Amino acid sequence: MSDRLKIFLLLAPALLIIGLLFFGGLLIGLMRSFNYMPVIGLTDPDLSAYKSVFTDREFYLSFLLTFHIAFTSTVISSILAVGAALLLRRQFVGRAVVNFLFQLNLTVPHLVGAIGILYLFSQSGSFARLAAEWGMIARTSDFPALVFDPYAIGIILQYVWKEVPFIGVIVLANMQSIGEDYESVARSLGASRWQSFRHVLLPLIFPGMLSASVMVFAFTFGAYEIPAILGANFPAALPVLAYRKYTDVDLAARPEAMAMAIVIAILSGVMIYLYVRYSRRRIRT
Amino acid sequence: MTHVSIQSLTKVYPGATEPSLDRLSLEIESGELTALLGPSGCGKTTTMKMIAGLLEPTSGDVTFDGRSVLNDKPEHRGVVMVFQNYLLFPYMSVADNVGFGLKMRKVDKAEIDRRVTAILEQVKLPDLGKRKPSELSGGQQQRVALARALIVQPDVLLLDEPLSNLDAHLRFEMRDLIRSLQQEMGITTIFVTHDQEEAVVLADKVALILDGRMKQYDTPDAFYKRPIDESTARFFGGQNFIQGYAENGIFESSLGKLELPDHSANGKGTLTFRPENIRIATDYSQPNTVDATLTDRLYLGTQTRLKLTLGNHNIEAICNPIDVEGLTPGQNILVTIPADVVWLLTS
Repeated sequence: MSDRLKIFLLLAPALLIIGLLFFGGLLIGLMRSFNYMPVIGLTDPDLSAYKSVFTDREFYLSFLLTFHIAFTSTVISSILAVGAALLLRRQFVGRAVVNFLFQLNLTVPHLVGAIGILYLFSQSGSFARLAAEWGMIARTSDFPALVFDPYAIGIILQYVWKEVPFIGVIVLANMQSIGEDYESVARSLGASRWQSFRHVLLPLIFPGMLSASVMVFAFTFGAYEIPAILGANFPAALPVLAYRKYTDVDLAARPEAMAMAIVIAILSGVMIYLYVRYSRRRIRT
Repeated sequence: MTHVSIQSLTKVYPGATEPSLDRLSLEIESGELTALLGPSGCGKTTTMKMIAGLLEPTSGDVTFDGRSVLNDKPEHRGVVMVFQNYLLFPYMSVADNVGFGLKMRKVDKAEIDRRVTAILEQVKLPDLGKRKPSELSGGQQQRVALARALIVQPDVLLLDEPLSNLDAHLRFEMRDLIRSLQQEMGITTIFVTHDQEEAVVLADKVALILDGRMKQYDTPDAFYKRPIDESTARFFGGQNFIQGYAENGIFESSLGKLELPDHSANGKGTLTFRPENIRIATDYSQPNTVDATLTDRLYLGTQTRLKLTLGNHNIEAICNPIDVEGLTPGQNILVTIPADVVWLLTS
């Protein structure tokens, strides 16, 4: 048996499951988004679901909100992660402990994090009550709206909390394998500390950072649970909107939900492409 | 032209009990090419990094033209270090690599282009500016790294094992290039190496560092003719050591009496002589001729290495293959150790 065949056969079970679940699901979703759903008597495919998605004002508001959540979370997480990695690669007493604490929340599920944010940052949460107790605000309802708010601060807070260690661990490993000699060369050639970071270390860690942050972007753009728990009712994030349509009592709303899901997938693909292209040009000069 | 002075430079890494470098002192004249020679882990690269400002010394001082530079940031020291593995920035073109130092100094773009072109010609890589480092051979990468360092016209140039990654035929080419550029630009240059041959072919002066301490700082030939002690002689390939007692120009040992060069010291000591300076003799007419037994011979193409026993001493000699044709192991022969090539080590 050739090596190729062997590899293929060994991968087959996994590929089969992924293929069936992913492409099968995608195919069914795609069919339904074109209004093809024989179970409820829809047998003439058309684009009406897409039409109603694209003519709905709420869809555009939701898109803007979702983009804002994904973009802001990714950028803030990436910056903080690089900063943290720069600190953690230094030698200092207690580094192992700090490193462990830094990575600890990788194991905490998103949902738990979201509930933590709710308990801490909502207007009836711990911080609001502490602030009222200490007389910083008159009533707990005077506490700034960080959860269920139009700027999605609570959602972004949760994502940043969760994704900083994720990107950070990848970037740190990357930095450690690169070592410090490239920066030493740059310094000795006349680069300041900042210049050697900007022109040498950053471009070197960039590929690793980019793939990690693309994953974060894709996840935060398409994730449902956090905006569902911490988001405002209107506008809702796109996945929340799609899910609402999907669970609508009127089965006829399903094609619209599917169209929205397909649009989310395409949009995140396009945005990841643009993000990769733009940032590659910016960093590697 | 910069005079570099290193004074009692010491480095103890955090957590280490022994210093990696122990009170190294060196005076390097302006425009001189100096080698720091020593086995791996003897503190050479540590020394370079401290001169470049990339590592802080535990104690001691480094001065350029009499001024301490320890408080200067690496980018303001006027020192450029070329690393052993070149460390060209992989995502930049050759031209961008070479122009890096000028870009960091915010030199005008047109001026950078002009100087990059000029320096690439000087290192004989005129048409490679657009390539990526990964598309270059090791020798070419080395020259780009050198060009990248020289373009900023440093006062002091530091080279880490500049020839060790190169093939034999490239070594001499690179040696000539480094020497000619260094002389032309008059840059005080220090390089480190573990290879005594590399030190000897390239340097004006060699500092031998063993176990974090400087053993000897001298011209290359002195290490062969006048090593300071047995470990120094051994590092340079010395094999022959005979214990005895010197008095009034005569060395007494189990081999009998041997003449010493003029002005030799008196007292207990070790006599050493290079394997290549031993002559095969036919009679006792020359002074310092002694009996020997050939125990083994090794043909090396351009030379033949002989293993000899002189009394109870094992000695090595290196001879022209023609001179020792026909000698067979087990044979008793005569060897002369000329008085002007022996060297007395006194403790």
